Amino acid sequence: MDINVRKRSEVQLIQLRGPLRLGSAVDELRQVIEEAVGQGDTRIAINLAEVPMIDSSGIGLLVRFLASTKQRGGNIKLVQPSKFAVQTLRLVGVLNLFEIFDNDDAAVESFA
Amino acid sequence: MTAESSDPGQWFDLLDLSVPADRKAIAQATDTISETLTSFEVPEEKRLQIALAVQEALANAVVHGCKNDPSKEVRCRLKRNSQGGILVTITDPGPGFSPLQLMDPQQPGRLYADHGRGVSLIRQLMDEVDFEHGGNQITMRKY
Repeated sequence: MDINVRKRSEVQLIQLRGPLRLGSAVDELRQVIEEAVGQGDTRIAINLAEVPMIDSSGIGLLVRFLASTKQRGGNIKLVQPSKFAVQTLRLVGVLNLFEIFDNDDAAVESFA
Repeated sequence: MTAESSDPGQWFDLLDLSVPADRKAIAQATDTISETLTSFEVPEEKRLQIALAVQEALANAVVHGCKNDPSKEVRCRLKRNSQGGILVTITDPGPGFSPLQLMDPQQPGRLYADHGRGVSLIRQLMDEVDFEHGGNQITMRKY
């Protein structure tokens, strides 16, 4: 999985490319988010436009950090999840836990 | 290619994989399944659903059935019938488990849990799911 991290207006914008699933993809994203949260950056937007699939391991990672960032006054927001990613999040009952945006700008501005 | 009967109850072998019980091997096996489905012109949504179900079942087999022991192997068989139905069987050498013991991942207290959604997801993605041999074999069908 390719992971690109930028900081915009005090928001960590994480762009993913490839399936988010058990193994190196989930391990690498966990490390990126842990580093951000460890530095006090708890306002995170994750762009999923190029993520065709999220497995239960990836979902577990997202909801775990959603809870921990919210506890610190932050949030994890999702940008442009694919139709199948949305379907998967809905099937396991966590879709409504997340705020979802059509583009990076809207997600970043929502933290203001 | 094998000559196919029009009997939808007859399944034809497409793949028979032995996957090392290593987390890193799961994605490669799932991709092989997905590429095979693409070659048989399985529609994208159906292919994604089957691939995700396979990913979840392989993860359970590797992590729980084999305890991440790479000296062990998981067998993954893929079949299709003349109607476009797909059958996947995944077998691990572990002691099995009772699917009745699984907790509902959508219980309010479990919504933020970081695990425990795999079997629920498989059941919703596939049309038929059976656990056999004490739970160390899962057979999944998508029509």
